[in-house]
Amino acid sequence: MYTFNFRRASSLEDAQQIHQSSSDAVYVAGGMTLIPSLKLRLANPDDVVDLSQIDGLGAISSADGAVSVGAMARHCEVAATTDIPALAALANRIGDGQVRNRGTIGGSLANNDPAADYPAAVLGLGATIHTNSRTIAGDDFFVDLFETALGDGEIITRVDFPIPKRAAYAKFANQASKYAVVGVMVAETDSGVRVGVTGAGACAFRLTSFEDALSANMSASALDGIDVDSSDFNSDLHASAAYRGSLVTVMAKQAVEQLTA
Amino acid sequence: MEESGEFVIPASPQEVWDALQKPDILKECIDGCEEMTITDDGVFACVVAIKVGPVKARFTGTVSIVEPNPPHSYFLDVSARGGGAGFGSGRAEVKLQEVAEGTCLTYHVKGTIGGKLAQIGTRLFQSFSRKMTRTFFDRFSHRWMG
Repeated sequence: MYTFNFRRASSLEDAQQIHQSSSDAVYVAGGMTLIPSLKLRLANPDDVVDLSQIDGLGAISSADGAVSVGAMARHCEVAATTDIPALAALANRIGDGQVRNRGTIGGSLANNDPAADYPAAVLGLGATIHTNSRTIAGDDFFVDLFETALGDGEIITRVDFPIPKRAAYAKFANQASKYAVVGVMVAETDSGVRVGVTGAGACAFRLTSFEDALSANMSASALDGIDVDSSDFNSDLHASAAYRGSLVTVMAKQAVEQLTA
Repeated sequence: MEESGEFVIPASPQEVWDALQKPDILKECIDGCEEMTITDDGVFACVVAIKVGPVKARFTGTVSIVEPNPPHSYFLDVSARGGGAGFGSGRAEVKLQEVAEGTCLTYHVKGTIGGKLAQIGTRLFQSFSRKMTRTFFDRFSHRWMG
């Protein structure tokens, strides 16, 4: 690890101010991606700004038909919630016990790893992301590989998930890391059926062809014969693009079966 | 690893060919490119700062044009070193073909990466290289659009 300044922020304003005054600063939430990168010397920032001591950033509450999850809420805390069982189940399958005890929802979303689980929940459940300066619709948040709508120095403060009528998440996990090779969230919400897919492409996306089919008929067989275009999907030593394409259908069907059981 | 693709650029093959030889244009189009100079006849030297998620690394590289056949085709031999992060090398075959909308550029790259990036980054390398390529041609094509 290279040397860097560890700066503990006392408030959002403080965090942003430290970030602005540094030539090269990064925020650390749970550090589940950043710390290994620092240890491998693949990142070399001047300042690491710790967000863990900012009051209220990890609170989880329910009101007005939505679950509001503070950005610093850890995966194990989300896993212990009950209002959206599919969201709790998703959080409970992220990484391993150590990761779930440290990793945070805000860190995961800001990082936007193409194989992270939470992006499928944000898209599938139609969540809204709040930052220290504005509100971003979940549908507009994920831009590309590791790229989000967040501006330089912007900090996620909380994520609001509307409580769906019913929802389920199915994932085909890498056996070593538990990252999603493909993960699919299917939800029946007040604004219609939503399908969020992670792991398959450069970043998570909604699959409107599946949404349309499931709106008409919420059953696994409704997805038969719908072609998933896998030409831009990820291909690596774990799975080819075509295999991921096939997994999208299989995982979506599993989610539908869970949801209608 | 191998990767191929094609892009249509709204300019003639000769215009595309000429622009692809200019260091300042290449610098402008490559995301994160900090320096781009011609050191020798047909050899480019460049410094590119790469940022993928939490990873930030600065690569120095050389690109040589091999077997040029203006304005139809050439090969690019690329080699890059990123300090502790790793290294990469490869050869790209580039072909230009005149089409109704301008020029269709097709490429086929064969390359290898090594070092730490290769150990942890293989699952991301393809998506990342596609993103870099897409950005390059978006910016490059933009030169001829409103």
